[in-house]
Amino acid sequence: MATTTLEPPAGAPAYQRFWVLDWLTTVDHKKIGILYIVNSFLFFFAAGILALVVRSELAVPGLQIVDQDTFNQAFTMHGTIMLFLFIIPALSGFANYIVPLQLGAPDMAFPRINALSFWLLPLGGGLIFSGYLFGGAAAEGWTGYAPLTQQGGVGTDLWIIGLLLVGTASILGAVNFITTVFKMRAPGMTLFRMPIFVWTVLVTAVLILLATPVLAAGLIALFIDRNYGGSFFDPSVGGNPILWQHIFWFFGHPEVYIVILPAMGVVSEVLPVFSRKPLFGYKAFVFATIAIGFLSWTVWAHHMFTTGAVFLPFFSFMTALIAIPTGIKMFNWLATLWRGKLMLTTAMLFALGFISMFLIGGISGVMLASPPIDFHVQDTYFVVAHLHYVFFGGSVFGVFAATYYWFPKMTGKKLNEPLGKVHFWIHFIGFNLAFFPMHQLGLSGMPRRVSDYSPDAGWTILNMVSTVGAFMIAVSILPFLVNVVATFINGEPAGDDPWEGNTLEWATTSPPPPYNFDRLPPIHSERPLFFLTHGHGHAAERPADLEEDEAEDVEHRKGLV
Amino acid sequence: MTARTMQAHPAGEEAAEAAIAHGASGMPTALVGMLLFIASEVMFFGGLFATYFSARAGVPAGAWHPPEPGHLDLPLAAVLTAVLVASSFTMQFGVWAIRRGDPGKLRLWTAITLGLGILFLAGQLYDYSQLGFSIADSSFGTVFYTLTGFHGAHVFGGVVGLTIVLARTTRGQFTARNHVAVEAVSMYWHFVDVVWIFVFSTIYLLR
Amino acid sequence: MSDTAVGFLILGIGMLVVLGIVFAISSRPGPATPRPTPPPGVHLPPPSFLPVVLSVAGALLGAGLAFRGEDQLANPFLAIPGLLVLVLGAIWWVRAANREWQETEHGSHAGHGSRGSHDDGAAH
Repeated sequence: MATTTLEPPAGAPAYQRFWVLDWLTTVDHKKIGILYIVNSFLFFFAAGILALVVRSELAVPGLQIVDQDTFNQAFTMHGTIMLFLFIIPALSGFANYIVPLQLGAPDMAFPRINALSFWLLPLGGGLIFSGYLFGGAAAEGWTGYAPLTQQGGVGTDLWIIGLLLVGTASILGAVNFITTVFKMRAPGMTLFRMPIFVWTVLVTAVLILLATPVLAAGLIALFIDRNYGGSFFDPSVGGNPILWQHIFWFFGHPEVYIVILPAMGVVSEVLPVFSRKPLFGYKAFVFATIAIGFLSWTVWAHHMFTTGAVFLPFFSFMTALIAIPTGIKMFNWLATLWRGKLMLTTAMLFALGFISMFLIGGISGVMLASPPIDFHVQDTYFVVAHLHYVFFGGSVFGVFAATYYWFPKMTGKKLNEPLGKVHFWIHFIGFNLAFFPMHQLGLSGMPRRVSDYSPDAGWTILNMVSTVGAFMIAVSILPFLVNVVATFINGEPAGDDPWEGNTLEWATTSPPPPYNFDRLPPIHSERPLFFLTHGHGHAAERPADLEEDEAEDVEHRKGLV
Repeated sequence: MTARTMQAHPAGEEAAEAAIAHGASGMPTALVGMLLFIASEVMFFGGLFATYFSARAGVPAGAWHPPEPGHLDLPLAAVLTAVLVASSFTMQFGVWAIRRGDPGKLRLWTAITLGLGILFLAGQLYDYSQLGFSIADSSFGTVFYTLTGFHGAHVFGGVVGLTIVLARTTRGQFTARNHVAVEAVSMYWHFVDVVWIFVFSTIYLLR
Repeated sequence: MSDTAVGFLILGIGMLVVLGIVFAISSRPGPATPRPTPPPGVHLPPPSFLPVVLSVAGALLGAGLAFRGEDQLANPFLAIPGLLVLVLGAIWWVRAANREWQETEHGSHAGHGSRGSHDDGAAH
């Protein structure tokens, strides 16, 4: 039975017929979420092609395909686009769609600013890419170290401006999410009854709010150096290149937690549903997330150990420390799976893949936290392996898990499961083929950001294997695309709650009406839908408690804000 | 799929609607948004201050000053500081006035605040014209103009906000119950003032 | 392969993919379906061109800064239109938000209110 009834009065205005206009002018968080997701996947494919350019060139020694400058542009744009225009916007898109639903709210706090946040993305990304049309895109690495950036052409300026626009979009989005969480929760939903995904989005938004402006300051300073004769970072006129690294990484490290936390939130939504068990240790997980948020500010200089300008013991200690709350989360997830009735849907496979791959990435990260090791592998492929295991094995797997999990809610149709599994396995195997050898390459000394290497170095075979893996990843995208398109055209209808979920987004139609809910179920726990469906037979809830709660929920919506 | 009936609390529903509908609990939504935005701007200025201190630390003791023949005009800067601090007071008087339900006084104090803000900007521009060094003249010039320049841009943004508030209060749109825009703009204006106090102390007093 | 060729290739592939996806998911214009109304107490702001317009204006201003000539602050042909549209668009935005706020506050009685747009003229 449908849980929302749509009763339009006579004479109500019709939907716009021209869907282009509809999507261009929408302020509905659901449509904006879909715009974010589609836009990010497009940038994903573009940056993926650039990765294939890099891997094709490195498969065998010698410069066969591109020259060095084009190669530099390829890895720079690959990194920039993947981080700023794929991962964060994709997770933002899912957050945009799902958070108001999970809170029982009709929309985000500031719907039109929400739309502005989206539209800045294709424009900023377009500016960054347009460098290719004007003599070359930025080519100094996604980290844009000074004073190399002093030498770039207009592509570097476009990179700076584009990132400023994208950063503005992020900051506005962060304001929106934090305000929505504090002001728009449905009655009865205290902070500790919010879904875990909302918690991770909240902490992420705080990190974005406070870290991105620092990047903006640095980018503006860089622009002034390059264009108006400034001397922030250029040593030839009295500037300090290490200052750039400090400013960049003070943003850059919270940035990587911005990238991973929402994906951890997705995994924490998917695992309980497909283990038919609640998340183990909800409160511990929340506090671990907040702890990661705090600690992420104290570790930035571990990217700069080899500059000689860093107090090594402090940053090494804090970096190792941050592994503890992360480890707590790992145990929460494992304990959730333990003795659960596992349903290995594609979303679940990606979530399990996340746990295993992020574990590997996390371990290599703790290794890198140790300066004696870091001094040997800094700027080698060991770091490239680490970052891909956490970004790709972590966040991207999280994005795919979210896609398979929430696609039915967004479109009303379930993605085809067998095809999804084909996607997963080719993707998983390809991913490990591509990136595991890089650990060894780094340990045996292969530097990163090089377009070529000596045939006598002994790196050829591993590079070849890695390239094969990269192409496997590319191939795995095909069943995914086929799945998406075929499901849109003729997919199996999903209904309101195909996965028997726990949280409020499953309490309305698929897709939801513009205002999300006609009626909300009572909220007395972090799994309101579970209790609605399965009754209050759970040992923890006595009928007397419930009656008390009901009165309290409605009369006292306390909160600091 | 299991059939479910939605058990909304019958009596509680209306109360809940009313509570949420008027944002009855806690700080108004727009004010929360402004507070968060200000937090992000604090971090932005933090980044700029970091560049200032870094540039200063890279120069031998006693050598941290504008390149010859440039100079800093401390008396003028002190006057500008007084102007901006006074404008924060006048803004707050305006806020208190509208909280008491006195839109006439709000209009007066907002107009004075706006005037003082414009005076600050004019003074800043005059200062720039007299200084004798540019952004490209040594690291001092770079960080000086970047820090004060972006502060000035934020003052300009505040001036725009004050103009809007003045226009709306002239049209009688604010009441004691309903004046979130005034509170938001005043919060932003105080922030701009506090940043200036840090800028002034750092550049002109600490040196 | 030259940089410009790579750029155009990416641009071309991107546009084709966008058009393909958009075609696949576009709602075929059928009979006009009436818009369902939200329950009482929920007000959603209407659709708006302003986010797109302001984003384009910001991008123009930024492009003006990136493509500046020697001894210029910014390229005037890009930056000035960008700045103008940005400022005018912002004014339009604030006035529209104000108007919607006045409508929800004055066009309603006790028991009604604005949920999604409870702010006093703040741009949302």
